[in-house]
Amino acid sequence: MKSSTLQNCSKCGLCLSVCPTYKVALLEHASPRARLQLIKYYENSELISSSGLKEIISKCLMCGACAAICPSGINHYSKFMEMRTKMAEDHGEKIAIKSLVYLLSSEFRIRFAAGFAKLGQRITPQIIFEKYDLGNIPLKRFPKLNKKPFRQAVAETSRSEAGEPEKGNRGNVLYFTGCATNYLFDKTGFATVNILKSMGYKVIIPEKQTCCGIPMLFHGAKDKAKKNILTNIKCLNPDSFNQDTVKAIIVDCPTCGSALKNEYPALQDDFSPETAEAASKISSKVIDIMSFILQESDSTNLAQSLENLKSDNLKHDSRVNQTNPENIEPQKIKVTYHLPCHLKNSLQSPGNSETILKNMPRLDYIRAVDADECCGGGGTFFYEYPEISKKMVKVKIINAKKTGARIWLTDCPVCRINLSGNLKESDKLTVKHPVEMIQL
Amino acid sequence: MIGSKTKELLKKIVGRERLLDQPAELLSYSYDAYHEEAMPDLVLFPETCEEVSGIMKICSADKIPVTARGAGTSVCGASIPAKHGIVLCFSKMNKIVEINTKDRYVIVEPGVINIDIQKALEPFGFFYPPDPGSMNVSTIGGNVAQNAGGPRCLKYGVTVDYILGMQVVLASGKIVNFGSTNVKDVTGYRLSSLFCGSEGTLGLVTRIILRVVPVPETIKTILVTFDDLDNTAKSVSDIIGAGILPVAMELLDRATINAIEDSARLGLPREAEGSLVIEIDGVKEACEKEIKKIYKKLEANNAVSIQEAKTPKEREKLWTARRSAYGVFAKLAPDLLSEDVTVPVSKVPAMIRKTVEITKKYGLKVGILAHAGDGNMHPMIPADRNNIEQWENVEKALVEIVQAAIDLNGTLSGEHGIGLAKTRFLPLVMSKDDIEFMSVIKKAVDPDGILNPGKFV
Repeated sequence: MKSSTLQNCSKCGLCLSVCPTYKVALLEHASPRARLQLIKYYENSELISSSGLKEIISKCLMCGACAAICPSGINHYSKFMEMRTKMAEDHGEKIAIKSLVYLLSSEFRIRFAAGFAKLGQRITPQIIFEKYDLGNIPLKRFPKLNKKPFRQAVAETSRSEAGEPEKGNRGNVLYFTGCATNYLFDKTGFATVNILKSMGYKVIIPEKQTCCGIPMLFHGAKDKAKKNILTNIKCLNPDSFNQDTVKAIIVDCPTCGSALKNEYPALQDDFSPETAEAASKISSKVIDIMSFILQESDSTNLAQSLENLKSDNLKHDSRVNQTNPENIEPQKIKVTYHLPCHLKNSLQSPGNSETILKNMPRLDYIRAVDADECCGGGGTFFYEYPEISKKMVKVKIINAKKTGARIWLTDCPVCRINLSGNLKESDKLTVKHPVEMIQL
Repeated sequence: MIGSKTKELLKKIVGRERLLDQPAELLSYSYDAYHEEAMPDLVLFPETCEEVSGIMKICSADKIPVTARGAGTSVCGASIPAKHGIVLCFSKMNKIVEINTKDRYVIVEPGVINIDIQKALEPFGFFYPPDPGSMNVSTIGGNVAQNAGGPRCLKYGVTVDYILGMQVVLASGKIVNFGSTNVKDVTGYRLSSLFCGSEGTLGLVTRIILRVVPVPETIKTILVTFDDLDNTAKSVSDIIGAGILPVAMELLDRATINAIEDSARLGLPREAEGSLVIEIDGVKEACEKEIKKIYKKLEANNAVSIQEAKTPKEREKLWTARRSAYGVFAKLAPDLLSEDVTVPVSKVPAMIRKTVEITKKYGLKVGILAHAGDGNMHPMIPADRNNIEQWENVEKALVEIVQAAIDLNGTLSGEHGIGLAKTRFLPLVMSKDDIEFMSVIKKAVDPDGILNPGKFV
């Protein structure tokens, strides 16, 4: 946050070349440069707060591409986040967004709502299901909720051996599952745990963990976010596991990852010194699962390393196997990939998932021409601004289909909901997390 | 201010969707990459030549100022609506109309982004040479208005050298066409050369025919270092004097090299007083012959090290060093002034010495960056605009740098343009008669002075 006030925007306009909303809208006020200028005018009292200004500030995917390319090194992220808080205070949020923020700020409420929604998915009349859209996505294309929250399910199924490693003991890793894996994509969670175990790690899934807080921060509810952040810092603090050192804190969601890595330490002025210290320790250990696999593999023979991960595990666990019928086919599976913005711009580990996919003997990886372009998901962006989001995702789908792939891989759950939600049955493409391919 | 009746008429042309009138929206069009600002009353996004013509008929009847804009990356303030009125933004008029590499041309609308022309030409093995630093974002309309340059313009020439023809809407709303799709065409005045670089003061370009060239077979890129800045600059004029015309010859001084190393650690020698990135292209055999000649000249000037890129990746790395310079300096202080004076190649060493001397006198930091092959200097001065005393020194230094360039037979601007930034310096290089002649032309084409008023003419 300090660096953002030190540097002035030179208005060079380079950020326009990477901003997904500018590229679609071709309007200056849909660009990071304009958002920064308007924030400056607002702070200097040259522009009054208005719902129009709020919309300009919110019509942003928070993808971080502008900050990554900015020659002056401006921290757009915290500038935008601060302004979003002010705008939400002045003009409120849409009911749906407010409810989401309210919901995510308590684990109990999330669990309750998930249970209720599952009931909803069962009893909603088919006609409503077929007819209505949420944002740019038809209701029927939303992912089904997990039968049981992943963290509960994994605790029950492996109570006997917990997250004990399969062979050797290379130490402990903490797994921050994020809400999406916990409530929507349990296969991603099981695949992550199984791989870490077959790599020889003991997987600890801290029970108290809760939503990372990014949705609240993006929608101006810093106070609500703070509660979650403090809970997470407490349960992830590597020093509290004093019997053994914590080798890494694993995330499968790049946005949760960038929260733990960048946003928690950036809020240190709001924390007590001990909490700030814990936040920076957590930050230094956070890594996404695909980068962790790559980092721990033998770089001279990546293909064999990845193969080893598979065979070991199959003896112990058939769950992953059963859920992937593609496995029966002897020929290679054609896959393509979408690079999430937060992996590229915030975690700064682009290319790691692609490297693994390229080296997996059973996969035929074909790169889409726009593999690293934003899909327009952006947290709740697809819901708030479907007209922009739809345009972006359409192009992504056209180019993914051109590759001839059957499986479209991406690390981020929002990208996943957005891409898969906009596919048609006839597109014959399934969207998954790349970690689900490793033990195929 | 624009009356409500007039506004209704304009709305009829572009529709509600392509008209902006809310304060926050208008503020977004009050600036470009220059530091001054002025509010427009209205922003319109035309999509056809006919719409532009219709808008201009209304504006000329009501004498409403009209300022054209593309992506708003002008560093001289050319797209700032100094006298308010209407900003005509061409970002949505962005079709590539025709690609014809057999006849070596493309036809584009003004809102097409420079890089998108390059991407469209790539499959045909062709490219469009002018490569301004803003090429990933700036529009071809803006490039034409400013007669944009770039590193490879040393060999290939600037924007004006690639315009075969254009369609222009005049202040009156009349639509005129100059040139053709013929590479050779001397029919009538070459008016495209008048409109190119006119910074939107003469007419609104709505369609451009550009000459394109085939991608060369071979590219060779080297990074050279010297322990003496004079030798660095002398190598440049020696190579050009020997009849070799590289694609680019980019010069960086010690301060720049060290600033890059401080932040990027590319392994550049910190003790080097000067450094050159030299690139040549063409037929393989010719390149090999040329590079040998270049090595000889460099050695004669006591080059300390020469690093040749063996792979495209290595070439990228050498260029990264050059390209990161601006960003590195931008981070040294809240603001950065990047100058653009240009001198004859043989005067490059003298100009560098003078620039360092002036900035030192005012206690300012400076990094010298130059498209040295064509004498186009970009000294970068990091400073803080809120520090009044320091900024006054920056202003004083700027005046002296400009004067120094002129004393060396140089000129005000190599590629950034005049706009709001350098109008006050015009009398230093142009006589009263010269300036008056420009006014005569301006009055003939735009009698009411509604096109980009408040700028250099």
